[in-house]
Amino acid sequence: MAFPSPSAALRHRFERRTRRLEVAREVRESLVSLAGLQGRPVRLRGGEVIGKVVDVVVHWDTDEPYPPLSGVVAKVGARRAFVAAGAVASVTQREVLLATARLDLRDFAARSGETALAAQVLDHQLVDIDGARVVRAADLYLATFGETVRLVGVDVGLASLLRRLGPARWRTRPTPEAVIDWASVQSFGAGAGQNGARLASHRGELSKLRPAELADLLEDLGRRERQELLDLVEPDTAADALEEMDAAELHQLLAETDTAQAARLIGRMEPDEAADALRDLSEEDRTAILAVLPQQAAAQLRPVLDHPADSAGGAMTTILVLAHPGDTVAEVRRRLAGQAEHVVDLDAIIVVDDEGRLADDISVGELLLAEPGTLLSELMGPPWPVTVTVDADVREIADRLIDSRRLSVVVLDDEDRPLGRILADDVLDAVISGRRRWQIPRAR
Amino acid sequence: MTSPTATGPGAGPVSPAPASRRSPWRLGRRLLLAAAFAGPGLIAANAGNDAGGIATYASAGAQFGYQTLFLMVLITVALVVVQEMCARLGAYTGAGLGALIREQFSLRVTAFALLAFLVANVGLVVSEFAGIAAALELVGVSKYVSIPVAVTVIWALVVFGSYKYAERVFLILSLAFLTYPIAAVLARPDFAQAGSALIWPHFTGSKAFLLLAVALIGTTITPYMQFYIAAAIVDKGIGPADYGKERVDAVSGVIFSDLISMFIIVATAAAIKTRAPLASAQQAALALRPVAGRFAAQLFALGLLGASSLAAAVVPLSTAYALSEAVGAESSVGKSFREAKLFLGLFTGQVVIGGAVALVPGNLIQLLVQAQVVNGVITPILLTFVLILANRRSLLGAAANGPVFKVVATVCVTVTAVMATAVLGLTVAGWFGIS
Repeated sequence: MAFPSPSAALRHRFERRTRRLEVAREVRESLVSLAGLQGRPVRLRGGEVIGKVVDVVVHWDTDEPYPPLSGVVAKVGARRAFVAAGAVASVTQREVLLATARLDLRDFAARSGETALAAQVLDHQLVDIDGARVVRAADLYLATFGETVRLVGVDVGLASLLRRLGPARWRTRPTPEAVIDWASVQSFGAGAGQNGARLASHRGELSKLRPAELADLLEDLGRRERQELLDLVEPDTAADALEEMDAAELHQLLAETDTAQAARLIGRMEPDEAADALRDLSEEDRTAILAVLPQQAAAQLRPVLDHPADSAGGAMTTILVLAHPGDTVAEVRRRLAGQAEHVVDLDAIIVVDDEGRLADDISVGELLLAEPGTLLSELMGPPWPVTVTVDADVREIADRLIDSRRLSVVVLDDEDRPLGRILADDVLDAVISGRRRWQIPRAR
Repeated sequence: MTSPTATGPGAGPVSPAPASRRSPWRLGRRLLLAAAFAGPGLIAANAGNDAGGIATYASAGAQFGYQTLFLMVLITVALVVVQEMCARLGAYTGAGLGALIREQFSLRVTAFALLAFLVANVGLVVSEFAGIAAALELVGVSKYVSIPVAVTVIWALVVFGSYKYAERVFLILSLAFLTYPIAAVLARPDFAQAGSALIWPHFTGSKAFLLLAVALIGTTITPYMQFYIAAAIVDKGIGPADYGKERVDAVSGVIFSDLISMFIIVATAAAIKTRAPLASAQQAALALRPVAGRFAAQLFALGLLGASSLAAAVVPLSTAYALSEAVGAESSVGKSFREAKLFLGLFTGQVVIGGAVALVPGNLIQLLVQAQVVNGVITPILLTFVLILANRRSLLGAAANGPVFKVVATVCVTVTAVMATAVLGLTVAGWFGIS
């Protein structure tokens, strides 16, 4: 039973990367710190200084792991001029040297597909995919590969922040102690305020993240970045992550997401989790989302929402596979296969009589071991199903589970018709949430 | 026939769970509901009525009678303007003030703003521990015992995670101060005098009045509250679409809380007629005598203890959060303390320094007021940041301050800045023996 704990696995990944960076220590000399470059001279080929570096612009919409230089923004007199990459001979820590002896100055204007690093990336949030954490860029590093200057890394160390606070002399000295390779960073679009274009492209790396890791990232990001990350990942992955999120954080996320997107995500969540999420929203938002949800999803959610959250009816999943005593094992297996996406919620199938009343609860394991041609009526028999009514509370359900040693209980209405199922893991969540490992209260 | 469509017998409106049954099922949800009931605006503004607030308002009433009421009206207008800007920034950007300042200003300017914020809040923490000590002195406990114990207990409550339960106790205790309006009426104040002081502009040119005016500004328009309301709005997921409702909440919260403040001034002015600076908490408690009779001191002590303990934990926590957010260590905040060295360090540092300063021998009530002066001097610095951010079209687009609002807000910030500078000037002059 030795599961590597998620945090141990993360730490391992993290350490491995740190070692890799130490090996590349000699690279330090070739790194150019963006924070240090700001304010350094822009020099013409002839040696004449025409202005000072304000910002560095890179191409953002490429699939390349290291975005190439698009140009340099220089302060020339009172103007902010743009010097295209073609006119730049070299970028060093001391200065930007131009390839020409003359230059036609063009005023800087943000173009789509490009990002000004100092204005839009430095000091903003980024996702470190390898470490599965949210970071804030303390400095950015450029390096020259052949002819091209590229953005290669982001510094997240406290040392870099202090260096930037100090005198100009300190700023130019890169301190690459906590540098993340740009190839494993998910950055966000250069959204300047309201109408900023969403330019960040999807990084295949994002798919490496586990749902719980993605949930942590969503909790830590600011609103704009969070919405962007949601857009970047597959909807099913996003829904899985939402299921892992803390209730208050999930409420915040759904409240700030537009109705259509929220409905898309809720529709992909497991019904019990989706019902929990909906219950937290305002009446208005809940009705709006239920109206937009696909018929089937809404029909699964409504019965759960009709019960108080702390009752069995409010915590159950309505994903059930029903069968009749006359069905064969093969038929039921086919029906199960049709519900493959809900496999985590399917621990047993329910056998009902002609009036829809519960007859037995047959575990998936039992079905697996039986011959395909067997009738369900032959499998019926003790142990008889464990049932609760819709208003049973968590303690009662936990007691029933402990007594019976089953993994789930069936929720019945007054006429013994099955309404849903409560799985042991949900009961565990409810019992444990009262005394979780201590955490920093998220007061602000 | 994969999912039954029958609805259970409980179909119908969701009925709230009976309160008597403490089911662990979704305990957090009920807390969330309680928090939603009192909007962030109301909570933020009422944070102004903490230990420092009570001491300053009581001091104002005792020393200057009804004379500060008109000033409180002006402060209320300014607070409405400021809280509205912060709420708007939170709703439209979805980011806390700490993160916004880091993203919108240069790193050095950010460091300056956050340092100012930290100093102001350490001042608040000092006053909260002074408040705890003053409350316990009323029941005969020396501050040299109560403060070290309070520092340890509050630190442990937060770090070992049982703070949520203690918080409710503190909150209930602090409700004792809601008796002030009743006390104010029962004390038969001079309504004509209070009414005219409320309406007619009048200022006194003395240094004592100026100091107290800045303390009133500092305790009412606390930098802490601006960070709090923005963060609370972000946390509730309120966006531009829901902002209309939130604006009402922010404004009504300010008005409600400032009304209570004015009642404190009136109640104290009616009860204490010496017109000298407050000498002790014992004296301040006299204002509650019309309600509590001979138990006035005990009632005052309970309220002060609750309000101070509440803020003594919340202020350093939210300061540490805002700073971590600006540094970029937000990912460590939701985790256990082992992974949050910066956060833990900031929290511990504030609590320990706050407690240590509160131990300095002297009059606790005057220490409380002086801590508010520090806040009052720093307030305009952070207000300037808020104003610049709320003016910025590149950040807020159409929701940026309009021309009229811009003028009103600029006047508010400028006036507070001028007063703060005057106090600073007088204090520095005082060090050199000129006064």
